[in-house]
Amino acid sequence: MGRETDSVTTLGREALAYADSLYNLARYLTGNEADAEDLVQETYARALKGVDQFTPGTNLKAWLFRILRNTFLTIYRRQRHNPTVGGLDTVDDSAQGAASEEWLRDDIDLDRLRNIVAEDIEKALMSLSEEAQTVILLDLEGQTETEVATILGCPVGTVKSRLARARAALRHRLKDYAR
Amino acid sequence: MECQDTREHLLEYQRGQGGPELRGDIRAHLERCAACARAEESERVLTELLEEHLPQYAAPLALKRRLAAQWPAPAGPRPSWWSRWGRSLLPAAAVAVVLLVAIPWYYEGTGRRQGPGTAGMVGEAVNDYLRLLSSQHPLDIESGGIHQVKPWFEGRLDFTPVVAFDGDREFPLKGGAVGYFLDRKAAVLVYGRRLHTIALFVFRAEGLPWPTRGLQAMGPAQAYPTTARGFHLLLWRAGDLGYALVSDLDAQELFQLGVRLAGGL
Repeated sequence: MGRETDSVTTLGREALAYADSLYNLARYLTGNEADAEDLVQETYARALKGVDQFTPGTNLKAWLFRILRNTFLTIYRRQRHNPTVGGLDTVDDSAQGAASEEWLRDDIDLDRLRNIVAEDIEKALMSLSEEAQTVILLDLEGQTETEVATILGCPVGTVKSRLARARAALRHRLKDYAR
Repeated sequence: MECQDTREHLLEYQRGQGGPELRGDIRAHLERCAACARAEESERVLTELLEEHLPQYAAPLALKRRLAAQWPAPAGPRPSWWSRWGRSLLPAAAVAVVLLVAIPWYYEGTGRRQGPGTAGMVGEAVNDYLRLLSSQHPLDIESGGIHQVKPWFEGRLDFTPVVAFDGDREFPLKGGAVGYFLDRKAAVLVYGRRLHTIALFVFRAEGLPWPTRGLQAMGPAQAYPTTARGFHLLLWRAGDLGYALVSDLDAQELFQLGVRLAGGL
């Protein structure tokens, strides 16, 4: 019993090491600090409740990200206040359509792109769908495609295409700020 | 290879992933297709923008405190070994059998692996790192640069922490604190990399079971790279001082910082 509690405590300590990464994703998905805090706290509560489902030696960070995302989808999407939080399977129709056309053209002025300020990059990212934001942020976190696939619950090949589409959509959005 | 295929694999190409054949095909295509070469540059710029300019949000301290309180505290003291052993002789017999099998195996194994002392150092480094992360006040001094942090240690330690790297935009120095590494005081220097926290523990090296195998050249130092509980570590010594660098950061990036800290750049 004591040993079980010790292992849960150790897992908890390790899980705390990822609080910043989880909060960052939560902050982008929810769009505000209060909801992000609630989302992270709920994520840890669910992780603790389901600690038996975690296989020691596997990727704890990916497991926590998966819980966070599922929690977001079940709770926050239902009561979303933010119209920019889009659907699961879209990257926002207008951006996606344009991004597809952009795919082979990509005529963004790179010098202007380089000069976009942090605030505008954030706005552009937050204007994308939940799925696009998530895949970009997880990639930025250094999660491998396999880990992202585990988090999103989809095949690795799907992650590749979702990431490519999401980045194309983001580039398209950034054009508006690069002018 | 056509444009569509090339575009789909640009990120892999930039990250050095994919097989040599695929990379060769992409390289050849980029050399002859100006549009795809431009797209490749565009991907690179986007990556730079995201990595260097996208705001990163750290969890508020109050939230971390609440999260820490959510998980169960460590178990209380266990019953004495007398009371446990007194219940039956069976566990003692089991231990005897295990020892008979394990001792020869252990001595054979230590020829290939690092000794248990090194494992202790690795475990200590990870525990210290986790303590730092869950601490309410992880830094005794916030960084205004190494020239502010290093003098702060004067009078607080019986050695001067020698560090060759002051921090930069890629690995900013966040601050410092005094901690312990095993039985001795340690200077704790905290660096950042995107959202990752990197802790460098500097302490007196003497009397510790430093690894002698599996060392890797890291600038002028010989470092012992290892992984424990998902965290990456580098252990090395320089003169009288020992260094333990720990983070959840990618092992390659941690090594880059290690090279700078050891004075390799």
